[in-house]
Amino acid sequence: MQEKIKVLSAKQISVQKPLCEEWMDSPEACSGQYARALDPDFRQFISAGESRRLGKLLKRALATSLSALADGGIANPDAIVTGTGFGSIENTELFLDALVRDGEQMLKPTQFMQSTHNTASSLIGINTVSHGYNSTYSQKGLSFDSALYDAWLQFRLGRIGNALVGAHDEMSPVFSTFMRKAGHVKDGETCSEAAVSVLLEAGGERPAMCTLEDLKIVNRPTSGELEEIMSGYDPDAVMTGRSGNAENDSWYSFLRSDVPQLAYKPLFGVSFSSSALGFYASACCLKAGRIPSVLNGGNGDIACRKGILVVNVVEGRHHSFALLKPVCGR
Amino acid sequence: MEEMILKLKQEIIEVLNLEDVKPEDIDNDAPLFGEGLGLDSIDALELIVLMEKNYGIKLQDPAKGKEIFKSVNVMADYIQKNRTK
Repeated sequence: MQEKIKVLSAKQISVQKPLCEEWMDSPEACSGQYARALDPDFRQFISAGESRRLGKLLKRALATSLSALADGGIANPDAIVTGTGFGSIENTELFLDALVRDGEQMLKPTQFMQSTHNTASSLIGINTVSHGYNSTYSQKGLSFDSALYDAWLQFRLGRIGNALVGAHDEMSPVFSTFMRKAGHVKDGETCSEAAVSVLLEAGGERPAMCTLEDLKIVNRPTSGELEEIMSGYDPDAVMTGRSGNAENDSWYSFLRSDVPQLAYKPLFGVSFSSSALGFYASACCLKAGRIPSVLNGGNGDIACRKGILVVNVVEGRHHSFALLKPVCGR
Repeated sequence: MEEMILKLKQEIIEVLNLEDVKPEDIDNDAPLFGEGLGLDSIDALELIVLMEKNYGIKLQDPAKGKEIFKSVNVMADYIQKNRTK
């Protein structure tokens, strides 16, 4: 029998107060076209000397990772798997600006190094002296889901005992307009930033927030296949990527109407890493034993006994399903 | 020369993102690498780019950087003698 995969800890930096769960009862407003994340004091995680070459995304990735590892009681994870849509896009933007302005002769090495997508995962590996499995997924809005699925497979194959899975995306004002023009952020949605780190362990005695019971990624499923997938789940609620945009929300119309449908995007905004916030928020609800009213359209808290199904639909085609359940006996 | 040294210190702080360092914290004769400011090889590349971009000095032999970047005073002196803009 395979050991249950537990979520030991989960940390976020987003438009909500960082590295805490104040959003459950006192959320910050998330509105407008574009909203930046609220950063913690990074000096509690890295010295000024170490951080001087790091852009926002890397500092945030390090802060959420170190915080999740400290909370979960694991210093050197067996695997570090990261999802990111654009990586350090602000450095990429600076690098490209310099390329246009100064030509190819005088490019800054630091910005060039940070322009690669796998910088966050490798930085976490270096900082935590973790020489195990280290991988990065860049699959637009399915980046976190892909990273999580990789870790899930590594657990199932018995290759790892624990894993730090994260998703990190920053957003510049200029690039947020590109996101909107490309249709990745839609009318009524706030383009935002997200950094989420989740620590998972197979079995073990450490206290956990919840368990990850099932994980699926399905591309272009038929309505019959979606119906069959959903018939296998009986959660308290479904954590959806509904945002208030009609086209986006129509992608979730296959969900059963008799199960409460929650929405985290009005609270956290939209980025390529936002599905990680849905996973994070669900884990927090299961730990607290309640789904706060803010996720339920202000319609009151919901008790959390059976679990939460996190559903992410990207571009109406790619579907991911993560079933989180409360820890038995708690 | 003093004005040049102050400007150079400000440029070094900016290009290397030395957030907590002020121009007056940098000793004109202290080594930039190793002890002193504790810069490393990536910083050396940044300084080479700085010299080319701001002063038109193209360092043909990167090995020369070891001598040129010895201290702010040495660097400022080299820039004064070799600048093309």
